[in-house]
Amino acid sequence: MNKNRKTLVTLIAATTLIVTTLSGCSGGKSVGNIAGEANGGTANSGSNSEQVTITHYTIDSEDRTFIEKLIPEFEKEHPNIKVKVEKAPYEQFDSKLQTLIAGGKSPDVTSHYGYGGFAEYYNKDMLFDMTDLIKEEGFKSSDYNIPDDLMKIYTVKDRTYGIPVNMYVTLMLYNKDMFDAAQLSYPPSDYEDKNWTFAAMVEEAKKMTVVSDNIAKTQYGVDFTWAERDMRPLYFGAEPYSEDTWTNGGVPSETHFDSPEVIAAYQKLFDLIFKDKVSPNSEWSKSVAGQNGDPFVAGKIGMSIGGSWNLAGANDFPFKIGVAAVPWGGNDQVRSTLYVDPLLILKDSKHPKEAFEWIKYLLTTDVQEKSIELSGGNPPVNTEAAEVYYKHFEGIDPADVKKVYEGAIKYGYESYNHLITNYSQINDMFINEMQPVETGHKTLEEVMPVIQKKVTEIIKR
Amino acid sequence: MSILKATSSRPSVSRPRPKVEPVKVFSFITLVVTTFLMLLPLFFMVSTSLKSKREMLKFPPTFLPESWQWSNYKDIFDTLQFGTMYMNSLIIAGLSVFGTLLSSALVAYGFARYRGKGNQFWFILLLSTMMLPYPAIMIPQFVLFSKMNWIDTFLPLVVPAFFGSAYNIFLLRQFFTTLPDELFDAGRIDGCGELRMWRTIALPLSGPALATVAIFAFIYSWNDLLTPVLYLSSSEKFTLPVGMASLTSSRFRIPPWHLLMVASVLAMVPIVTLFAVAQKQFVEGIVLTGIK
Repeated sequence: MNKNRKTLVTLIAATTLIVTTLSGCSGGKSVGNIAGEANGGTANSGSNSEQVTITHYTIDSEDRTFIEKLIPEFEKEHPNIKVKVEKAPYEQFDSKLQTLIAGGKSPDVTSHYGYGGFAEYYNKDMLFDMTDLIKEEGFKSSDYNIPDDLMKIYTVKDRTYGIPVNMYVTLMLYNKDMFDAAQLSYPPSDYEDKNWTFAAMVEEAKKMTVVSDNIAKTQYGVDFTWAERDMRPLYFGAEPYSEDTWTNGGVPSETHFDSPEVIAAYQKLFDLIFKDKVSPNSEWSKSVAGQNGDPFVAGKIGMSIGGSWNLAGANDFPFKIGVAAVPWGGNDQVRSTLYVDPLLILKDSKHPKEAFEWIKYLLTTDVQEKSIELSGGNPPVNTEAAEVYYKHFEGIDPADVKKVYEGAIKYGYESYNHLITNYSQINDMFINEMQPVETGHKTLEEVMPVIQKKVTEIIKR
Repeated sequence: MSILKATSSRPSVSRPRPKVEPVKVFSFITLVVTTFLMLLPLFFMVSTSLKSKREMLKFPPTFLPESWQWSNYKDIFDTLQFGTMYMNSLIIAGLSVFGTLLSSALVAYGFARYRGKGNQFWFILLLSTMMLPYPAIMIPQFVLFSKMNWIDTFLPLVVPAFFGSAYNIFLLRQFFTTLPDELFDAGRIDGCGELRMWRTIALPLSGPALATVAIFAFIYSWNDLLTPVLYLSSSEKFTLPVGMASLTSSRFRIPPWHLLMVASVLAMVPIVTLFAVAQKQFVEGIVLTGIK
């Protein structure tokens, strides 16, 4: 019996010891304390009662966490503000954010870096309305060289909820080696070149396409991944969402995914794969580049239309590349999707004013210029800092990058994934429903009515 | 002459050539081919871990690295705080295994040995907790641990293991019920209390089951990504899966697959070691007890 007790006591003692040791691990540096400071104000801040800690929540990847390197300078200039960076991998970004907010540990500053876009955050009432703060602080976007058009993206019903910090556009990357081998002249970087049309692009693509039984020899002329799937009809001038979507916070009163114009637009894109045979199907792309990879990187695609983030890896590509304008596809206003990332203050932030100070700091020309190098090529919204960005890529003419960026902004439209509510669900649904069309097992006429029905349901959720 | 005789008589004493059985040959070839197929992903993992960043993008991929980049195995330590993350994962997984074994074995013993009122009901209630998906308890649990000021400590990752795990309790309970009652009767006659019988009779006889639970608990904790992501915020406390996920987290960059493969090769080491050790140790354990 005594022995029994002894065993029990030993077990309890061991467990207590482990628990104490593990809590000890956190010691004085416990983020529980830091988070407490951030949320509970000055309670734990010790002698300096004015000091507050704000949390910047971001993705745990080098092109995002570089902001940690900007903190010391900021804290020197603002001795009353401490900045803590909280991070999560891409896939868990949204789950952690929801959990932090629900658990009363809301970060102060973040962006829509996960699957959910701005409209989703706005409609879930997660965002702090910055309008009064902007007035109070006398913040002018022109002081930070942010174009007015970009400021409007995150303004809903005259209230501002986000301030742009980075801007990706859609552009064409082309493989110079493949163009040289086919003895073709390079595509233009000038958006005003009237000869540069979708049809002209297909003709060029045909000259570079080689379809062979030998997978190593197969190559395609073009890979047209313009925007997310639901937005692609816009390139040809067909608008699937009703006009009110862009003014009411991303809740369309109507959608037209089964309209003949939208179906015809999608048809043109699928013709690239099945009729003209100048684009790879999704299976081929996956076999060459992996699940989320880009076959352009493997040197098997002549022209790739996609987000300008593809440029960031350019220095590692095993072939020479150039940038060009997205050709005209039938829409005189829109030829490029813009992906403008804003900095947002969350509604549950206890220190919006200090968070705003941090945001302003990140937007200054000097810091935006520094961020390009530190992040490995994130494009700034600050037009002055953008000049540094244009020169960032080895072997690509900065004048071309500049022309392509300026044209893309002139003919740009903000990506729907930032503007439409419940977007992550819409996007998932699109990927699943479009799959049989991409593999050639179903026709658009069969699939689009189903998509139309499902989009309507998702928006109503 | 005699030598000649002896030599010539040799064929008669030599063993007959074993008969080649076609079925056996077929199974042997099938097994070898299947083994190679199964090992192929592993081979590519190791091979990619030794390729350069540029070679990694090549298509069709090269089977063996063109130039062997052993430095990748050093680079991973510069890219991530790999050593720290490895240690953190080991500490958390080690304590989780200890906690799971201790708590699950105790509870399972209770369910297997006691025939009380409502025994079945409690057991079903316990099993029903297996139906609860983690996202359903994620937020309430986070609120609880944050009220206890456990955020950014290892506690939320380790302490729950000390409160049993339904699946492992079920597994151990099934095993404990197969132990003959006579052993426990003999123990009682010799003056053993329940806790002592648990420790000196039930546990030593349950080597294989405990090994299974230990392996499950270790793998679960070692691979767990969501829980550390939720509870840990300081980089120096991150576990291996968190660090590895960060390598593929950028939507805008080509992931360093070669480094990720280095991390995967190194991350596999403890699991393979544990599997080998646990198998051997516990199988020996059961042989020593003399029960078959």
